[in-house]
Amino acid sequence: MVEPTNELRILPKASHEPGWRRVVQSHAVMAVASPLLALILWEIAGRLGWIDQRFFPTPSSIIRELLDLISSGELVVHLGWTLQRVTVGFFLGAVPAILLGLVMGLSPTLTAIFRPIIAAIYPIPKIALFPLIMLMFGLGETSKWVIVGIAVFFQVFFSTLAGVANIDRIYLDVARNFGASRWQAYRMIAMPAALPFIFTGCQLGIGMALIVVVVAEQFGTKTGLGYLIWRSWQVFEVRDMFVGLMMVAILGYGIQLAMGALEGWLICWKPHAKTKSLL
Amino acid sequence: MSDRAFKGSAKAASADAKIAIRQLSKSYDLGHDQVKALETFDLSIHDGEFVCFLGPSGCGKTTLLRMLAGLETPSQGEIVVRRQTQDRPLTSMIFQETSIFPWMRVRDNVAFGLRIRGVPRLEQQTAVQHFLDLCGLGQFADAYPHQLSGGMKQRVSVARAFANDPEILLMDEPFAALDEQTKITLQQELLRLWNETRKTVVFITHSIDEALVLADRVIVMSGRPGRPIADIAVTFPRPRLVHELKAEPEFGRQWHQIWSLLGSQPQALPEKVK
Ligand SMILES: Nc1ncnc2c1ncn2[C@@H]1O[C@H](COP(=O)(O)OP(=O)(O)O)[C@@H](O)[C@H]1O
Ligand SMILES: [Mg+2]
Repeated sequence: MVEPTNELRILPKASHEPGWRRVVQSHAVMAVASPLLALILWEIAGRLGWIDQRFFPTPSSIIRELLDLISSGELVVHLGWTLQRVTVGFFLGAVPAILLGLVMGLSPTLTAIFRPIIAAIYPIPKIALFPLIMLMFGLGETSKWVIVGIAVFFQVFFSTLAGVANIDRIYLDVARNFGASRWQAYRMIAMPAALPFIFTGCQLGIGMALIVVVVAEQFGTKTGLGYLIWRSWQVFEVRDMFVGLMMVAILGYGIQLAMGALEGWLICWKPHAKTKSLL
Repeated sequence: MSDRAFKGSAKAASADAKIAIRQLSKSYDLGHDQVKALETFDLSIHDGEFVCFLGPSGCGKTTLLRMLAGLETPSQGEIVVRRQTQDRPLTSMIFQETSIFPWMRVRDNVAFGLRIRGVPRLEQQTAVQHFLDLCGLGQFADAYPHQLSGGMKQRVSVARAFANDPEILLMDEPFAALDEQTKITLQQELLRLWNETRKTVVFITHSIDEALVLADRVIVMSGRPGRPIADIAVTFPRPRLVHELKAEPEFGRQWHQIWSLLGSQPQALPEKVK
């Protein structure tokens, strides 16, 4: 029995717990263990016939298929094409979005002129524009870049606009009092101040780009992860489909991690900017 | 020589005034209503003078300073600021709130004005290092603002304004948010910096102590709408030591004189919609 006492002891946390428990409870371990556990359950459920293997082939058979696709070199080609389309389309959309967002954010006149047009187009599901874009640019690569670019543009544009709107007025007052030109105000104040918002927009934009590219690869191409997924649907090769889905997920996650790292490096002036990058 | 007229044309200014304020008033439009921040008044400030404006919260001190900084326009009347040269900036403001850029290192914050003006790199570095050292920031040149305490951030703000080398320094309660010790240290440092440069300084405060310690001249403001109600010469010899000044009998006497002036004013009340 513990004696009642007037002391409250505040001790280092670690000293209470045995070492193994700390390892299990560490977030890194949990992050790896939980998907692994889900895969194991899936495998067991598949083998025991609890779930229909026609729709959900076991993870082990998917991995075998994955290894086949890798060794035949096919997967790398698909991955490469999708990455290329996402990258080109991303820059095609993000660069004008950032420039226009910064300029409009600091100019009420330009906002009044352009905002209604952009706001009217924004709610259209971007993929619904794809037929029109294919009419304009043909079935080739250009139409894919353009549709990805459009999807990215809106996310980045509105985030940039919000970023500029959120700049503390005092920084612009300092710039004015110190005689900064318009260009200097963009480069030294608006751009860096809005950068955290711009980054959020870029991350949302990448998510949109992946959605759009997978749909767009249904048409006029025999390459890309999207093509892989649609083809496997046509020939009812569900394991290929899962490989495709998995690769899209890995691609998206990889890009987000890279962007998170870039953000942590570029926005090192912001305390705790890094905590966001895990997702 | 050229004048910067804030509104209307410059009439013959009283010959040696650095800043001439004539029939100035300022109201803010709130749509349905107006707030009168500054009541019509005249005032001259001379070159090289250290002037403190002292008044209760909400009496229009910040408004006056923002007009001097070119960030706000008068409603009526004019301010004429006499320029000495086109090569140096006319004013640099030190704001009441934290205003240093969080995305720039301390060094780049201090260099801001010089970069804006396109001063050659080498010259920038020399000036920045000089003022970093004078403000006791030498070790923090490469730190980001979030790594600094509130007092250090204000030092950066002071260094940024001094490094810009303006003809007139505008300071808006720069030390109001700081603890007593830091405040006295920074007041002492400001006095030292000012002794080196002897710029015209317009310093705003709501602290009688601060005004008496720093200024050549204290202008006491009424409650809102603000206007000068007294113009008091402070004649303590320079260089001054802040902590010793406060022990002088003359300091106490002047403190009390200003206190009575302020006490005779109705307190600034919250705005009432008429
Ligand atoms: N941008 C503004 N819009 C409307 N009213 C303002 C604005 N700035 C200041 N005021 C009003 O003007 C008065 C004086 O404000 P200010 O100059 O900040 O006073 P002080 O700096 O002496 O405390 C206050 O009543 C304040 O509410
Ligand atoms: Mg104020």
